[in-house]
Amino acid sequence: MLQPLRETCRRLLQDGTVQVVIGYGQAVRAVEPYPVFITAPDDVGQLVWNEQCRTNLVKYLLRKEIRALGKPAIVVKGCDERALVVLQQELQIDRSQIVVIGVACDGMDEPRCEVCDAHQPRFADHIIGHATNEMQPAERRYAHLGEFLERPLPDRMAYWKAELERCVKCYACRQACPLCYCERCIVEKNRPACLDTSATLKGNFAWHIVRAFHLAGRCVGCDQCSRVCPEGIDLRLLNLSMAREAEASFGHRSGTDPQAELVLGSFSQQDQEQFIR
Amino acid sequence: MARIGVFTCWCGENIARNVDVQSVAEQAAHLPGVRCSRVHKYMCSDPGQKLIRDTIAAEQLDGVVIASCSPHMHLKTFRKAAEHTGLNPYLVEMANIREHCSWVHPERARATAKAVDLIRVAVAKVRHNRALEPIQVPVTRKALVIGGGVAGIQAALDIADAGVPVTLVEREPSIGGKMAGLSETFPTLDCSQCILTPRMVEVAQHPNITLYTCSEVEQVAGYVGNFQVTIRKRARYIDIDKCTGCGQCWNVCPSKKTPSEFDYGLGTRTAIYAPFPQAVPARPVIDRDACLRLTKGRCGLCVKKCQAGAIRFEDQDELVGENVGAIIVATGYQLYEIGKPGEPGRIAGYGEYGYGRYPDVISSLQFERLVSASGPTGGEIRRPSDGAIPKTVVFISCVGSRDNAKGLSYCSKICCMVNAKHTMLYKHKVHDGQAHVFYMDIRAGGKNYDEFVRRAIEQDGAHYHRGRVSKITQEDGRLIVRGVDTLAGEPLTIAADLVVLAAAMRPAAGVEELAQKVNVSYDEFGFLCESHPKLRPVETNAAGVFVCGACQGPKDIPESVTQASAAAGKVLLMFSRDRLYREPEIAHVQESACAGCFTCRRGCPYHAIDSAEIRDRQGQLVRRVARVNPGLCMGCGTCVALCLSKSIDLEGSSEQQVYAMVESLR
Amino acid sequence: MTTPASNPPAGEFEPKIVAYVCNWCTYLGADLAGTNRLEYPANVRIIRLPCTGRIDFNLIVKAFEIGADAVLVSGCHPGDCHYTSGNYHARRRWILFRELLATLGIETGRVHFAWISAAEGKKFQQVISEITSQTRDLGPYRAYREICEICEV
Repeated sequence: MLQPLRETCRRLLQDGTVQVVIGYGQAVRAVEPYPVFITAPDDVGQLVWNEQCRTNLVKYLLRKEIRALGKPAIVVKGCDERALVVLQQELQIDRSQIVVIGVACDGMDEPRCEVCDAHQPRFADHIIGHATNEMQPAERRYAHLGEFLERPLPDRMAYWKAELERCVKCYACRQACPLCYCERCIVEKNRPACLDTSATLKGNFAWHIVRAFHLAGRCVGCDQCSRVCPEGIDLRLLNLSMAREAEASFGHRSGTDPQAELVLGSFSQQDQEQFIR
Repeated sequence: MARIGVFTCWCGENIARNVDVQSVAEQAAHLPGVRCSRVHKYMCSDPGQKLIRDTIAAEQLDGVVIASCSPHMHLKTFRKAAEHTGLNPYLVEMANIREHCSWVHPERARATAKAVDLIRVAVAKVRHNRALEPIQVPVTRKALVIGGGVAGIQAALDIADAGVPVTLVEREPSIGGKMAGLSETFPTLDCSQCILTPRMVEVAQHPNITLYTCSEVEQVAGYVGNFQVTIRKRARYIDIDKCTGCGQCWNVCPSKKTPSEFDYGLGTRTAIYAPFPQAVPARPVIDRDACLRLTKGRCGLCVKKCQAGAIRFEDQDELVGENVGAIIVATGYQLYEIGKPGEPGRIAGYGEYGYGRYPDVISSLQFERLVSASGPTGGEIRRPSDGAIPKTVVFISCVGSRDNAKGLSYCSKICCMVNAKHTMLYKHKVHDGQAHVFYMDIRAGGKNYDEFVRRAIEQDGAHYHRGRVSKITQEDGRLIVRGVDTLAGEPLTIAADLVVLAAAMRPAAGVEELAQKVNVSYDEFGFLCESHPKLRPVETNAAGVFVCGACQGPKDIPESVTQASAAAGKVLLMFSRDRLYREPEIAHVQESACAGCFTCRRGCPYHAIDSAEIRDRQGQLVRRVARVNPGLCMGCGTCVALCLSKSIDLEGSSEQQVYAMVESLR
Repeated sequence: MTTPASNPPAGEFEPKIVAYVCNWCTYLGADLAGTNRLEYPANVRIIRLPCTGRIDFNLIVKAFEIGADAVLVSGCHPGDCHYTSGNYHARRRWILFRELLATLGIETGRVHFAWISAAEGKKFQQVISEITSQTRDLGPYRAYREICEICEV
């Protein structure tokens, strides 16, 4: 897979189709691959591909300094690709101005890989490789959440109090998330201060409730947030909760259909609920 | 520094009975930002308002809270009072300590405590109120009326007579609508065309009215006061300026078999035809599907006969643009489809009545054509099957209406009167005939309406049977009508020569597409939705778009004319000043913080949010942000809740105000 | 609530209920309850907004932060929204938000939603009375207060 990947990137840079390739590179001392931004065709040797290419690189498409380099090509896995679809739907990127290189993936040994059904990229311009692992069935998708929800309400509250107490408001989750792209985030608003920004239990609950809800129907499950959280808070649970509800109630799975209507901002007269008097 | 004045009202006994007003006023005086606290027995009265005005001036207040009744009662009153002293009216808020407090909480201590809380909330809000000025929107003083039936004609004439230019767009080759095809109208039995045609001619000749027939609205862009409308003028194949209406062309046309739309299929017409003798414009049109020249390249007899050279087979559809400030929709109605079996989603039924199978089962509008002097039988009531004069005619009410099973739950309002009229017209022409009416109820609520129905029964001998008809079959050329007389408690079978079905009134075909073009909602039957059924019956939730006539709901001619004048009045009101003044409690985007996701635009019920480009000094596009159109925003705040970065805010219910209100309840 | 005189006898808990209502339907429904003198407990504090569409989910969280024991969100029936579709957007948000609250272990039994029209004064009275008595039975919402108190030194 690596050779074809490097070759494709070299060609794209050489014939001027793109001016920068965003991919995975290996540093000398770092354990995990880190993002590289290759502008010269001869530098494609820096690109790597292995079972540690866990990061979602899509976030970099939104950075001004990357945009300034010119038309990009980006290496994505099937899970990362979904973020591209949502960003296009939300008018943050112009898909026609990006070359997408999708690499087939047999899993990166992460919790989401156990329930993955997107081993093979679906929306890429170039597809490298072919996944051999089986796609996981839909029923397994929210298994992690299902186990959690077997706990009664007070136990869940106790769990989250313990988890969120550790949050130090580093906002790594927000920085890493491709869909948290607001330049002036709601936490930075101070007239009024909608949220308590302190790293106390109150402030932490406030932030994570808002973030989870702002990603409702949008989160693509790339798990960047959980991965980068220095305190190891299982943010995946919150995002799965919203994803499951969006799919169950509105038939929506973010990032899987570029023509689908987005969840928030639309409605159906048939939206069902049992709890409104 | 806030200088808020709190004014607590006794409202006579209404508030004071359960709320300790003095204590409330004393506690209010100590709320943060409050400069002074006053009481009055009747704050809305002249002396009460004088107290407010004098206090605003004396204490130099920059915000006012009136603790009294519901803002729906008196907010406007108190805002005007403030305005008189020079305080911006939007710096006034109210605390509802009557409807929401003293009237529902008999325990004095708890009611008093709640009153103080409600005032606290109002004070917290008003501290963040901003002085606002009404939004000014320029207005194009020109109106568009869609639909040339009696409602459209009335609306167009009213507006044109006021000196305002009007464009009237009608889809058919002539204006006049359904009323032009009626014989007489209830309750006066006036000749329908006699009262309508002078109006039609007035429309054609009015200097302020531009009439487009054979035309439809293709597209509407813009917003209230500033609509850009595209009208499609369909090819008529006649130059109506050259044509003299002599009729030579249709006299020689060999294509004679097309069912006449004006006669609802009871008669035929030629391919080149004028819809009816009093048509306006009084010019023919060519039906491109029936014309031999246009379909097969043959014939052309009409051209040879035409001395004015008015026939143009090369005609194409033409698109015309108009700029208008207001739109009135008056597209009228059609009858329910009787008898055709339902395709999925199509409302039709009553196949058991034999409509479409037996030629002598006809609809009420078809009967109208039989009676009409200009109709296919020259005004003689004859059976479509054999031309014989029917001696027994059965009229059936409620065909389609009031029937949940067939999908139309409403009453069509006019059918009871129409049936009574038909029995009378029948009797006046067939003296030895007998009319029967099967009815469920008699709805004759208008002026002289009930007397009219009684006349049909008592003077013209119509037999009224309370009951429904289950089935109609044919035997030996007669129609066997099987029904029931519930008052007698027996089944009733009548052998009739002609059966007339009073089919339900439904909105005209294509109304849903048109409604989407002008952003007007419609109900499950397709009737266009008014803003408020009681108090705003001709306005819609699309600013600048009004409705009148049967497109809004089943109604008769007087009501259509009334609504048409009402809609015209609303339009003239809009045009009475050269700018529109709108409530300023609308949304606004802080463009520096907007992330350009346009969730707000997707959610806005009024399509009031556009995409705006931010460019640098070199003209390069930096980014796109949301921008609210102040001419359209109605201030619901849906955008604010949807916004992820909270870059959009709503005056009058801003984030600052709402968070302050909640905080104050800590 | 604030003044000492209003505090009930020691031991008797009076719930604090915040209601976010829409101006055109529920607020008028509450007015109608008043006009008809339909009594209900004095625990509710109404915050008037133009439309349920305006009601951000964060306001529900905020209400708990300031010590509410229950929250009511109420507006026009589907199809009747004064602004055509604000309540449809609100409903969609509520479906998602309620699920989030449940995942976090926040008592969804303390968050109430209702469609109350301007003609439903009686319904307003009933809903408020029901919510007040249910909340009285549930007791004060200690769990969220604990979350908030920790930071208030």
